[in-house]
Amino acid sequence: MKTLKILLILAVLGITTMFTVMYSGIVNVAADEPHGEFVYWMLEETRENSIAKASANIQVPDLSDPELLLTGGVDYGFMCESCHLKPDQKESDMSVGLYPAPPNLTNEHQAHDEDSDRRKARNFWIIKHGIKASGMPAWGKTHDDKRIWAMVAFIERLPKLSPEEYQILTAMD
Amino acid sequence: MKMLTKITLVLVPVVALSFSANAHDPKLHIKKAQKADCSKLDHSKMDSKDPVAMAMMKKCMKQAKKDKAAAKDGMDHSKMNMQHDNEKHNH
Repeated sequence: MKTLKILLILAVLGITTMFTVMYSGIVNVAADEPHGEFVYWMLEETRENSIAKASANIQVPDLSDPELLLTGGVDYGFMCESCHLKPDQKESDMSVGLYPAPPNLTNEHQAHDEDSDRRKARNFWIIKHGIKASGMPAWGKTHDDKRIWAMVAFIERLPKLSPEEYQILTAMD
Repeated sequence: MKMLTKITLVLVPVVALSFSANAHDPKLHIKKAQKADCSKLDHSKMDSKDPVAMAMMKKCMKQAKKDKAAAKDGMDHSKMNMQHDNEKHNH
């Protein structure tokens, strides 16, 4: 009985705290005010583990067809470049203004992304489903899987593209 | 003296803010549909088995064909206009 009372008090306290935080306006949601280190770590870990779990069973198709680079290149130029940049570009309005900052996809692949198939599946999932409260849209609502895989194929090649190659691949037909 | 201080206090932030607003080039927001610039393609340095090279060649060939067709079309159209004009004059 005593334990039940304690649990009840803790539950009431928890709910009261939650509503106080929600309605008092003390949480700063401004994108130009970064999270504390602990909150950032917590959110990043949650995001990465969620994506890893959701994309674990995605089968990666053959992405070597040059035609994929043409479709994916044009889509990247119009949909992704403003945030994820192009070769020789260091920043843009979007890359500076968004929080969390969108990754620069022209950089060499990150260390935790060494497994190429996992990286491709991860990118496919992110492009298709987007990421809540990050500015990353769910392109799967308007683009079919084939087109999203083409973008994945292009992103795979992006770090090694020269500005001239990028211009040709992303130009309109 | 007080007036001068007040004016300075108002003017300095206004001037500073207007400079920061001008520093942002509006051209950065314009995204134009560009044609592929194939003039810098060096075929001798390209690996014909590399998907990137294959994709670029495909695009540049397609564009060259399109440009050729457009140039041809342009000539035909001018001829058509001339015929049309001649017909008008004859009537």
